[in-house]
This record gives sequence, structure tokens and C-alpha cells, in this order.
Amino acid sequence: MSLATLTRLALAGNRTDAARVALTALSALLATLAALAALTVLAIEKPPGDAWQQSEQYVSDLLSQPGLRGGTAFALVLLTIPVLALAGQSARLGAPSRDRRLAALRLAGATSGQVSRVAMLETGFASLGGTLVGLAAYLIGRSVLHRPDANGLLALPTDVLPPVSAMAAVVFGLPVLAAAATAVLLRRVVTTPLGVVRRAGRTGSPRPWPALLIGLGVLAAAMIEQIQWALQGAGLEWLALIALLGIFGAVMGVIFGVGWISHLAGRTLHRFARRPAALLAARRLTDDPWASSRTFAALLAALIIAGGAAAFRASFRLHAEIEQEQNRQAGYGGEIYYNPFYLDTMNLVDLAVAVAVVIAVAGLFVTLVEGIVSRRRAYAALVATGVPRATIGTSIVWQVLTPVVPAVLIALGVGYAIGRLLTGGVGRGGPQPDVPLGQLASQGAGAIIAVLLVVGLGMLFLRSNTAVEELRAT
Amino acid sequence: MTQLQARGLVKSYGPTPALRGITLDIDEGEIVAVTGPSGCGKSTLLHCLAGILRPDAGEVSWQGHRLDTWSEAARSRLRRTDFGVLFQFGQLVAELTAAENVALPLLLAGTGRRAARTAALTWLERLGVAECADLRPGEMSGGQQQRCATARALVTEPRVLFADEPTGALDTLTGEQVLTQLVRLAREQHTSVVLVTHEPRIAAYADREVILRDGVIDHTGLGLDAPLTGGAR
Repeated sequence: MSLATLTRLALAGNRTDAARVALTALSALLATLAALAALTVLAIEKPPGDAWQQSEQYVSDLLSQPGLRGGTAFALVLLTIPVLALAGQSARLGAPSRDRRLAALRLAGATSGQVSRVAMLETGFASLGGTLVGLAAYLIGRSVLHRPDANGLLALPTDVLPPVSAMAAVVFGLPVLAAAATAVLLRRVVTTPLGVVRRAGRTGSPRPWPALLIGLGVLAAAMIEQIQWALQGAGLEWLALIALLGIFGAVMGVIFGVGWISHLAGRTLHRFARRPAALLAARRLTDDPWASSRTFAALLAALIIAGGAAAFRASFRLHAEIEQEQNRQAGYGGEIYYNPFYLDTMNLVDLAVAVAVVIAVAGLFVTLVEGIVSRRRAYAALVATGVPRATIGTSIVWQVLTPVVPAVLIALGVGYAIGRLLTGGVGRGGPQPDVPLGQLASQGAGAIIAVLLVVGLGMLFLRSNTAVEELRAT
Repeated sequence: MTQLQARGLVKSYGPTPALRGITLDIDEGEIVAVTGPSGCGKSTLLHCLAGILRPDAGEVSWQGHRLDTWSEAARSRLRRTDFGVLFQFGQLVAELTAAENVALPLLLAGTGRRAARTAALTWLERLGVAECADLRPGEMSGGQQQRCATARALVTEPRVLFADEPTGALDTLTGEQVLTQLVRLAREQHTSVVLVTHEPRIAAYADREVILRDGVIDHTGLGLDAPLTGGAR
């Protein structure tokens, strides 16, 4: 099959396919912006002098201090995680109609490999469109935002450009990566002329082994201070690597742990359910507990970072209070000074977390609507037999909320524990920061309210997808 | 005694007419087959009679009450209590076991879980699929699934059962077995049945056959042999 034919087939489709392509392109655009922003921060040249020589042309210390630029770039790269999760969830949008289209291609004589290539090309082209628009937005934004203030200082690093090769790697690499991810996702899917068959995935009940990953992550964070003392300042790179691996392990532990939580919650709910809505939700939770892991992965990752950020903020605030107290005792008059840099930095981190949560919630919305659309025929049949739509809606609420409430609590708890262990106290035996219960509670409540809002929005799609006309659809 | 009455039913899908003035009575305990070629309006008539669809014009009366003027919630309630509905496929909840699927209408009506399960097991037994009680639809054959769906449609002991091509997805032998059981149980509990089918062999199970052509009842007696004019669904 020629590339032109493959392209034509990849770009064919209905409105749902167009929505999936648009969302994939949007995800690629956001990921491109985040990646180019990170590359730009890394492209800032260190002025001649010692290792701590600052780039004085910027307003923010996050850009001027060479020691902080790596962290800033890392935070920007972290933002691509929920964006990529959104892309993954977008790929599931309209899957039934795409499956039918691919099956029709097989019926017309296409091989399984050709059909997979069509799906990969669709994702690849959509992503390429997104990365190209992202590059254009980056270049235009760079030009528009290049406005030095009265002191000649820049708010953003609009005076530097990443290497062309690095930008090309982002613009062309992301679509290749997205197409490859599609190929991996399709490895369990066999498109036959009669439809799409999914090979059996993970079977059996989830086990609580993710708790071990969480434990190892927390342990790694707990040992950082001891190792630092033992190494006496040497091997800082290894320490950073251990900390990163620990955090990554804990994040994975929480995400996979949701599968176990879902299964357990489903079994418990099934045991005590008296109403059909709870029974339906319980069976769905036990039937595919990993669905919750996939659905909430980005949200939980963002909340772990949020919990850690809360611990860092509490620690920095304690430091600031101690600094103020010391200044007061030293008899400095006038405004009692403390360095607001770290607390201001935490505001930026909180903003990044909020953006990540919004992107994660957008992904959740896509998943929820896709779930309703893919079950529309079954739902329409239930409604036709007299099952109230409210029962179906309530079952969806149960299905979402039952695992997400404990998962949010665990994510915030793990994030806070790791953050607290990484920040340590103020010296050994010194004062310890209070647990920022208010901040953690507002983060948890905010996430759950956002999830509830998404479920509420999803319910708007329930009515149209339970219309009796769905029973006529082939 | 007439249970269900349709008077001058008209229903269109956009510019395409599906029903063009159907008048029909269903008596208590009567089994009526609605037959006709594809697209003649059989399923639309069944949906209007069962209160799933509202007709554009005309009346549907249930025990003397205008069903077509009821709210959707009230019509849904009727389908949970006095009506049973059976489709060709796709009606069982994939995640629930057979027993849970059959118990679903009872749970919706407020029956306790234990009592609902007991009733579900009884009905599965009556339909000869007791061994499937704890299986999910995906673990059952098409015939077993349809028996479970039949059990679910009958578990509330409805006054009228609406069956839309209930054997359409089954092989001939299994289809006849399912239909034989359905008719036997309906007669046992004096349930009226509106059976939509395009197969004369299935229609032969009914007390009376109503033939639709292009959205109207065919009184010519030519049945499926009459030439098509098209237009209706």
C-alpha cells in the first residue's frame, strides 16, 4: 500500500475520529511547548567565572542561578507527563468506530500490519500537526514576550534559542514516539475482517505488591540524609539519582496500587451493595480494576508532587520563621527581613501542579466520555428495559469515587512523606515543621471536586448515548 | 379482555415515515406476532407499544390509561413492573453474572438482594440455565445468554412481554428451544406477548399474526409475498 493511500485511510473517519485527532494534536502541542521551554532554560549560557556565576539578565532566580536551572527544566519536563497521559487517553476516544473502520479495511483485503500502520499514521500525523503548531507558537511567543523591563531584565529566557538539532528532535521525535506508543498499545489488538479482538491482558486479582514500591520509595527518601552525612558532600549525583528513583518507584507504586484498591473496594462494595447502582459499580471495579490505574495515573502523579511540595513549603516557611526570629533577636530594626525566594519558588511549583491537575482532569473527562460512548448500546438496552438513567449515572459516580478517594489520600500522604523526609528537620533535634493539614486537605478536596465536576459533565453525554436509536445502530 | 391498545399510531424518523396509522389491540394472555419485511416498522411499533418511544400522533393505552402521555420516568417504571422487554442481543450487563442480571429488575423495584437472587435462580432453573448462575455473559453461549435475558424479562412476572427478534442471533434449533420455553412460561403466567419477527416459522408460535408493510397493517392477505414499495423503517 502506498504512503498516499495509507495517509488517505489514516485521515478518513467521522466526527469522533476528528475529535481524537484534534485532542492528540493538542496534546502534542502542549508537550512541544513544555519540552521547548525546558530546552530553552537549559540553553542559557553560564557566564565566565566560577560555577555559581549568575546570568544577571533575568528577573527570576530560577533562570539566573545555574544551580536552579536544571530543576526548572526538570519541572517543565515533568509537565509533559500529564500531557502524554492525556494523549494516551485521547487515543481511546472513539475506539469502537475506529475499530469498525479498521475491520472494514481488513475485510477489503488489508493485512493486519497495514491496518496497524494506518492507526500509527493517524497518531503520527496528528502529533506532527501539533508539534509544528507548537513550534510556531513557541517562536511567535518568544518574539512577542521579549520585553526587557526598565532595568533591562527579562522575565523569560527569550534571548536564547535551543540548538536547532534539539528543536528538530522534539518536533519530529514526539510524533515518532506517539506512533510507536500506538504500535505498543495495539500489540494486544488483532484486527480481523469481522471486528477487533483484544488479546487477554492481565488476569487474576491485583496483589498488594505496589505497597512494596511505595515503601522502597519512602525508604530511599528516608535514607538520603543519612547517606549524605556518610558521604560528607561527595557523590551528590548518586544521591539525586537515588532520590529520583525512589520518587519514581513511589509514584508507580501509588498508580499500580489503585488497581488493588479498586479491586478491594469493588469486592467490599459488592458485599454490602443493596442497590443496583452500587452493584453495577462493584462488578465493574472488580472486573477491570486496572481501568482506575489508567484513568487516574496522571492525576495521582500530580498529587504526589503536590504533597511533596506541601512538605517543602512547610519546611521553607519554618526556615523563614526561624530567620525572622533570629533577625528580631539580633535587634535589626524596621522590616524584619527573610528571603522569600524559596517560598516564591513553591508558588511556581503549586502553579505547575495546578496546570498538571487540569490536564489530568481533561484526560479523565476524555476517558469517562469514551467509557459511556463505548457502552452506549448496552446502556440503551438497559434504559429500554426500564432501568432509570439515574441508576446508570449513580453507578458511574460510585465507580469513579470509590477508588479515587482512598487513592487521593494515599497519593498526598506518600508525596508529603517523601517531601518531609527529603527536607529533613532544621538540624538534628531542631524544630520540625507542622503538618500542613489545611493545604493537604484543600489539595485533596480540590482534586475530588474536580473529579466530581468531570463526572457531572460526563453525565450530559449519558442521555444522548442511551437514546433508543442506539439499539438500531450496527 | 384488551390490555393494550394502539390507535392511529404515526411515527417518523426525520422525513422517513416508520408507522402510518397503526391500530392494534392486544388481549390479556394473547401472543401476537408482528411480522413483515425489513424496514416495515415492526421494531418501531414495538417500541411505541412498550413506551420506549412516543408516537408522533395516535394513542397507546395500557389498561385504559393513555401511556403515550406519561412522563419518561413513569413509562420506565411501567417497563420495570408490568412490561418485560427482550431484544435480539446486547441486553445483558457484561460485568454482572447471569443471576445478577436476572435479579436486576427486582433490585430496581426494591426487593432485597437475597430474595432477588433466590427469584433469579428459580427463573434460571425454569429456563434450564441454572448452571450459568455465576457466569458472566461473555462466558455463556448465545443461547444461554438469550435464556438469561428471557429470565430477566419474565422475573417480574410482567403482564406484557415485548420481544424484538428474540431468536434473531441464534441458530434454528437453539432459537426454537428458547422460543418454546418463552411461550410456555408466558402461557403459564398468562402474560401477553408481542413478538416481532421476520420469520414465518417463529410467527407460527403466536395466536395471531399482524403483518406490517411500509408502516401500515397489511390486510391484503398477501403477507410477505406482496411487492415492496419502500419508505418505512
